[in-house]
Amino acid sequence: MVENDKLTNGLDRRTYLGGIAAGAVAGLAGCTDSEDDGLEVLHGWTGGDGAAAIETLIEAFEEEHSDIDGTFEPVGGDGNVELNTAVLQRLTNENPMSSFANWPGNNLKRYEGVLMDLEEDVWEAEGLKEDMQERAVELCTYNDKMPAVPIGSHRMNNLFYNTAAFDEAGIDAESLESMSDLMDALETIDQDTDYIPFAHGMRSAFLGLQTWVQILSSQSGVDAYTDFIEGDGDRDAVIDALETLREIQQNYISDDASSIGYTQAAQKLIAGEAACIHGGNWQYGMYRSDDYDFEFGEDWDWIPFPGTEGTYFYHLDSFVVPDDNPSSEETIEWQKFIGTAEAQVEFNNLKGSVPLRTDIEPDELTDFLAMTYEDLLDSEEYPPTLAHGLAVEPKQQNDCEGAIGDHFMDPYDADAAADALLDAVSK
Amino acid sequence: MTTHDTTETTESAVDPSEEGIDWQTKLRYFLNSDFVRSSPYWGIPFIIMGIAVYGGIGYNLAISFTDYAGIARPSFSSLDLEMYRRALADESFRAAAFQNFVLLVGFTSISLGLGLFLAVLLDYGIRYKETIQTIYLLPMALSFVVTAQLWLWMYSPGNGVLNIFVTALGFDSIDWLGDPRIALAAVIFALVWQFSGYAMVVFLAGLQSLPDDQFEAAKVDGASTTKTYVRIIVPQLKQASVGAAVVLMLFALKAFDFLYAITGNYRPPNGTDILATLMVREAFQYGQWAYGAAIATMLLLLSLAVIAPYLIFQHRQGSL
Repeated sequence: MVENDKLTNGLDRRTYLGGIAAGAVAGLAGCTDSEDDGLEVLHGWTGGDGAAAIETLIEAFEEEHSDIDGTFEPVGGDGNVELNTAVLQRLTNENPMSSFANWPGNNLKRYEGVLMDLEEDVWEAEGLKEDMQERAVELCTYNDKMPAVPIGSHRMNNLFYNTAAFDEAGIDAESLESMSDLMDALETIDQDTDYIPFAHGMRSAFLGLQTWVQILSSQSGVDAYTDFIEGDGDRDAVIDALETLREIQQNYISDDASSIGYTQAAQKLIAGEAACIHGGNWQYGMYRSDDYDFEFGEDWDWIPFPGTEGTYFYHLDSFVVPDDNPSSEETIEWQKFIGTAEAQVEFNNLKGSVPLRTDIEPDELTDFLAMTYEDLLDSEEYPPTLAHGLAVEPKQQNDCEGAIGDHFMDPYDADAAADALLDAVSK
Repeated sequence: MTTHDTTETTESAVDPSEEGIDWQTKLRYFLNSDFVRSSPYWGIPFIIMGIAVYGGIGYNLAISFTDYAGIARPSFSSLDLEMYRRALADESFRAAAFQNFVLLVGFTSISLGLGLFLAVLLDYGIRYKETIQTIYLLPMALSFVVTAQLWLWMYSPGNGVLNIFVTALGFDSIDWLGDPRIALAAVIFALVWQFSGYAMVVFLAGLQSLPDDQFEAAKVDGASTTKTYVRIIVPQLKQASVGAAVVLMLFALKAFDFLYAITGNYRPPNGTDILATLMVREAFQYGQWAYGAAIATMLLLLSLAVIAPYLIFQHRQGSL
């Protein structure tokens, strides 16, 4: 029996088992959450103008609140997909961060039931309900709570064009007032010049979806679009817009469109290969980068997407706050700071978006942004963007993207795509 | 010693033996058995594997019976096969399953065929054999992410190498990965490029283990080279092919990283969605945990279905 207690290699069995147990305990300890109650903010601005903007925002915050020890983590890119995944996992594992950048509106459905209400501590304490644009206040309210503070808005219904290309084709941009005007112009560019008429990325389905939304609103009116997102879309209007999108994608875009995103598409405009492009005005943030010699008013210019003048298609970035917050007080300070005029101007000037506060002097913004800011304040309608989280719930948005991805990225099946789109928003 | 004593006293409920050997002796025999004495060696990995691997599979299976989605905790109160029904009714699931099947069959058979062909050539004693062998095997050493980027450049519609050839021959440039009708074939081609070297090495090892006598005997009997290989040599490579085929098929089932790296997001190029990419998309992008778990379970069953014939084959050969 005595030999039973000893392993033959001389290692005492109990020492061995004890070591295992100690290792297991240490392992378990490693899994438990080390409670660090500092401010932790997640965002998706990993590069370029976005990164510069958030850096400046953080610096300004730290200057004002030197007592708060904050960590700010950039997560992935590409339409917030990586960031959303990270946030979803953290919240599912009941390991919330202090605050994270995300789209408000229906996008908040993802985080239903685990968001903190900032109405009293931030919105009312700072008088933000009066200072922020009405639409932003509306979109930051979800289920009678106000879990988000907006930081900036991009306008979606833009057409950026290369002035040299339009000059060469003899097109006066200001005269493009409808979708058919635009289609004629694209045909002229195609026939008379060597430019790619329309720079377009098809790598991700949301780019096609976004363009389709603009075509639908342009051809059949903004009401057709708002009816659609409310689940009451007109099938004929939906198909008409799809057919126009197909005409553009089959005739006027670059050969490599299917393997590029909007960044590479925009580079074609900058490089003088393409004549025009549609996209959110984050493209502006790209054009003025020091890497390119591409000047607003000289090399490129802007018109509202033809047929949508007087409308500001609304995109909104905000910081959202989860419940069970690890640092409630610091988080509230951060959210208050987001709403200040200083933060909104500093961030948006670099990001290429516009502040949501209504009391900003336009001359504090760059020329292009001042123009967009004025449109933000006095447009007739502010329909929410479909491809960027505001208009419909995430599942519906995913299904809309799937409708384009599955049926409308060559080969094109307008009927199937229309059915899938209408089906997606009716659920 | 102490541990031993306490065990003996707590085991007092054991029935006395019918044959009159008292239970203490039996217990002593039991504790002295190889099974118990070796348990620290196999028991610990057994427990770790049990929890980390089979526990994970079990939990995944349990989740697939729930309606777990989003941030709320999973509720195990009502378990049903709803997620499996949903998958079978889902068009994108059926498309992914079909494409996965095409990928599995196409990729495996082409890789095996090409690997065998190359192995026979090398075995035939061509010049610079070692160098060529290394060149063919090298892609296998690259990670999927690297090969995905490489082929993204090769397939680029604007200035990719393949399209330079295609346009030089007078055809229109082809959008290899963008056209859903050929995207899957393009992916299979890239994967074959990466893995045919592996099949080649497996076959080459098999070929080199065959004694030279067989070649000589065949020659003496007047068999042509082709006939020698087809009738005599290749049939003896059965074991090697089964092993290689299983490995390749498993790669086809989990080609997720290659497809993910091509687009850099959860939706692979149109026409190349497979079960693994669909599973990750449903779970991590959309938070449909239960649905993702159901797809994962079906993927596991498929993998088992692939391995089962191999295990049976090994068993018949007496290797198991």
